Amino acid sequence: MSVKKDVKLLAGAGHVMLAMWALMVIGPLLFTFIASFKSNTEIFLGNPFALPATWDFGAFGRAWREAHIGTYFLNSVIVVGVSTFGTMLLGSMAAYVLARYQFRFNRAIYYYFVAGLAFPVYVVLTPLYLVVQAAGLLGTHTGLILVYIAYSLPFTIFFLAAFFKTLPNAVAEAALIDGASHTKLFFRVMLPMAKPGLVSITIFNLIGQWNQYVLPVALLQGEGAESKWVLTQGIADISTSAGYEADWAALFAALTIAIIPMVAVYAFFQRQIQSGLTAGAVK
Amino acid sequence: MAVPAAGLLSACVGTAGEQQPKAEGDKTPENPLGVKEDAELEVVIFNGGLGTKYATDAHIPSYKKKFPKATVKYSAAEEISTVLQPRFASNLPPDMVNNAGSKLMDQGKLIEAGQVADLSDLFAAPSLDIAGKTVGQTLLPGTIEQGTFNGKPYLLNYAFSVFGLWYSGKLFKDNGWTAPSTWADFTALLDKMRAKGITPYAYAGANAAYYQYTVILTTAAKIGGADVLKNIDTLADNAWKAPAVKQAAELWGQIGAKYTDKSHLSLKHTEVQLQQNQAKIGFYPSGSWLENEQAKDTPAGFDYQVMPLPGNSGDKLPAAAIYAAPGEIYFVPSKGKNVNGGKEYLRHMLSKDGARKFTELTKSLTVVSGAAEGLDIAPGLTSATKMLKAAGQDIFSFRFDVQYKKLDDECRNATNELMFQGGSADKFCERMQKVADEVKKSK
Amino acid sequence: MRHGRNPFVVGFLVTPIALYTIFVAYPIAELIRISLTDWSGLSPEFTFVGLDNFGKILTDDKVWQAVQHHLLLLIALPLVTIALALLFSFLLNMGGGTRSGLATGVWGSKFYRVVFFLPQVLAVVIVGVIFGRVYGPDQSGILNSLLGRLNVEPVQFMAEWGMLSILGVLIWQAVGFYVVLFSAGMASIPGELYEAAVIDGASRVTVFFRITIPLLWETIRVAWVYLGILAFDAFALVMVMTIEQGGPDGDTSVLPVLIYKQGIRESEYGYAAALGVSLFLLTVTFAALALRAGRRDTLEH
Repeated sequence: MSVKKDVKLLAGAGHVMLAMWALMVIGPLLFTFIASFKSNTEIFLGNPFALPATWDFGAFGRAWREAHIGTYFLNSVIVVGVSTFGTMLLGSMAAYVLARYQFRFNRAIYYYFVAGLAFPVYVVLTPLYLVVQAAGLLGTHTGLILVYIAYSLPFTIFFLAAFFKTLPNAVAEAALIDGASHTKLFFRVMLPMAKPGLVSITIFNLIGQWNQYVLPVALLQGEGAESKWVLTQGIADISTSAGYEADWAALFAALTIAIIPMVAVYAFFQRQIQSGLTAGAVK
Repeated sequence: MAVPAAGLLSACVGTAGEQQPKAEGDKTPENPLGVKEDAELEVVIFNGGLGTKYATDAHIPSYKKKFPKATVKYSAAEEISTVLQPRFASNLPPDMVNNAGSKLMDQGKLIEAGQVADLSDLFAAPSLDIAGKTVGQTLLPGTIEQGTFNGKPYLLNYAFSVFGLWYSGKLFKDNGWTAPSTWADFTALLDKMRAKGITPYAYAGANAAYYQYTVILTTAAKIGGADVLKNIDTLADNAWKAPAVKQAAELWGQIGAKYTDKSHLSLKHTEVQLQQNQAKIGFYPSGSWLENEQAKDTPAGFDYQVMPLPGNSGDKLPAAAIYAAPGEIYFVPSKGKNVNGGKEYLRHMLSKDGARKFTELTKSLTVVSGAAEGLDIAPGLTSATKMLKAAGQDIFSFRFDVQYKKLDDECRNATNELMFQGGSADKFCERMQKVADEVKKSK
Repeated sequence: MRHGRNPFVVGFLVTPIALYTIFVAYPIAELIRISLTDWSGLSPEFTFVGLDNFGKILTDDKVWQAVQHHLLLLIALPLVTIALALLFSFLLNMGGGTRSGLATGVWGSKFYRVVFFLPQVLAVVIVGVIFGRVYGPDQSGILNSLLGRLNVEPVQFMAEWGMLSILGVLIWQAVGFYVVLFSAGMASIPGELYEAAVIDGASRVTVFFRITIPLLWETIRVAWVYLGILAFDAFALVMVMTIEQGGPDGDTSVLPVLIYKQGIRESEYGYAAALGVSLFLLTVTFAALALRAGRRDTLEH
């Protein structure tokens, strides 16, 4: 078989498969968008592909006003922004030291961190709540950020340590001989070299923390805590009240409001993410 | 490894935890529960079907009016257990809790653990605005009993609801149908509905199987008398294997096999209710909150009506007998800082004014007798009130679901199996009895 | 050169260790202690019961039912996700024509890359609600509406195919990230390797199996471990999507949901803690095995 024919066949079949998957991704999202204009009856009894009888933007207003989606979105951005930064900073520091320095208890500390990798958060909610309460951080973003960082460390250290190990020794040694301090070496030389790894773990953490739901519900409570809620809580809030007062259009509108900025941000940073990942996924 | 927080949890989880000093004031005729007038009060309200407006717009202002120096800390929660469970674990609960919703705390276990305050003095205190009566005397009969465990009243069940089969008055009128009262008439009507292309009977399996087990047990009570339910509540030996329970399960199992739509197993209650609003469903079992829940989606002229479950000639209870009970739990944690304040808050809820405003805001009746008189209520609630009157003394209820969460969970699954998945009455009774025995053993 | 080494090591480790100890390790230690008690979780009182809770787990049918579901997820989730992601990223990078001797991605590959990643940025709560409609059991459900056009009776996804439906959602959400990850890996495989293979007359399929997969092995292994850990979770989806949270009748139950139900709903926190500890042991065992089994010398190039 000639290579050309081979390619054509592959490209043809490939296109079909890619297009189908793209459709499977876009379909439900498009449905969500359109459903925010529909009545409850249209959503649950009608043809899912039908367009709404009237294009009523009211649901977006309700979602924005009553569900404070704007505020919660901003809260999410603040909390996740700070905590992801903190996670990456502390995580890379610990991972770097554990990966590249020999000292007593190195392995012990490494496994101490990694053991937390698979611990389901909701099991420890009660003890965790008590700790946060004792620290006086209940109902604060600070408390939530610290907890996010702590729970992201095992994953971050696990992957980054493996990554730092693969970096060549020669550069590090040269820098040290030139008189650079260990700290300087880390921030000026090693971190830039580790960029691809950092980018991919940052994405993992961003997504994980952005989508976290159980922790904020347990830790952001008390009087006035509603104003500090994050986006997932806002969505769940409408989802619950949709179950009782049945305002599903508002729920789907809220989903749309929550989805669009994420899509935009991702599309915008797509190139950076891609190139960040490219340099080092395979050494 | 140095553990900075060591001992901190032990203080909370480990030892009994010190009692917080209680805020107490002098008991006077004006202040019968001895509330400290400037003590802070913290209330937590479940944010669900009833909303929270009744608390923020009616009950809290009423409390503040009486005690202007007090601050009332208020918060609403959907996941009551996620939010409050750690606070009970550390003996730092709020002063009044509305324990409800799909994630409510296990009320039976809370009482067992000594976390719930005895409300005897509340019910013995004079009513806030009904002259000459104690709070207890202003309530519908059975209210205090519903919240009494081991001889002590611990819970206030505030909202009163009646349970029956709901249908569209318009649909019936258009087809010349009348509400049946016997099983024979009932199934005959279900056949007619099916012939018309309507799903005759429906409930939502995904999250509301307890509506259907309420139906099954209501039929069981009609057949064998209210004691059938008493025995289930008290975990009496073989309570679930009583002939009446089995017979009821058989009757409803047949309805499930013949007259339901299997897709309803995976739907949630509001989704099925929508279908009824669009005249796709004949009968739907629910409590009297249904009409308010569907208000936005009910087409004009739908005309919600409710009827008692059909009966048979050999039944112990008349066909008009219904399941009716106070529900929606409010309680005062015994380890709170302001227990007297929490009780006082309940006294405000139970005032005529407080109850009336609750009914206005939520379209639900309360246990305060006569508080809703003269209010302009919707057709469904009118129909429910009529049904309640017709039942007279023949009303009954159960509360094993509140007391033993495990039985509730099992009963939901057993009911779905019976109605949708080819289960049998024998299996239903068998399963339930097995879990009831386990619960009894672990007590 | 050794100057400042120790202060540096300590300085870099102290904050992460402190945070982790306070907020993760300490609560976990408490959990282990609780797992040895009959604590209800609703008051500060409890008694120690030794290993009773763990004994109960062994005879609890519900636990074994859930473990079976995890096994299904553990095998199917990484397998399908990685297979799809590899296929898609291969097509995106090398499915197109040849430009200056090098294979290029199919037309529109940039668009696909953005689209495929979308599910990943959605919170599980959102995904759960959306898929409630995708799997709707009658003609108003998205899938059943499509099947209806082919005259297929409505499929009862959540009632009869619960676990597979959940698996579908997990895959739907995960594929995009691994497409990005694998694409990146493929892009950094030196072009000469491919050229050489093509000159030798190897077809694209051969290239894929002989060159791409071996060179991506490390990345695949990491993906496998991460997806495996995901298979032990599925908490939020099951809570939001399934009938009576894990039903019908336990058909979709997973350990985290059991833990939630036992611990919080039924107030047997001691038992739930023991379940949590068991889940932890299971996950750790899996991770250790997976890391060991997949170890193999990376190809040098």
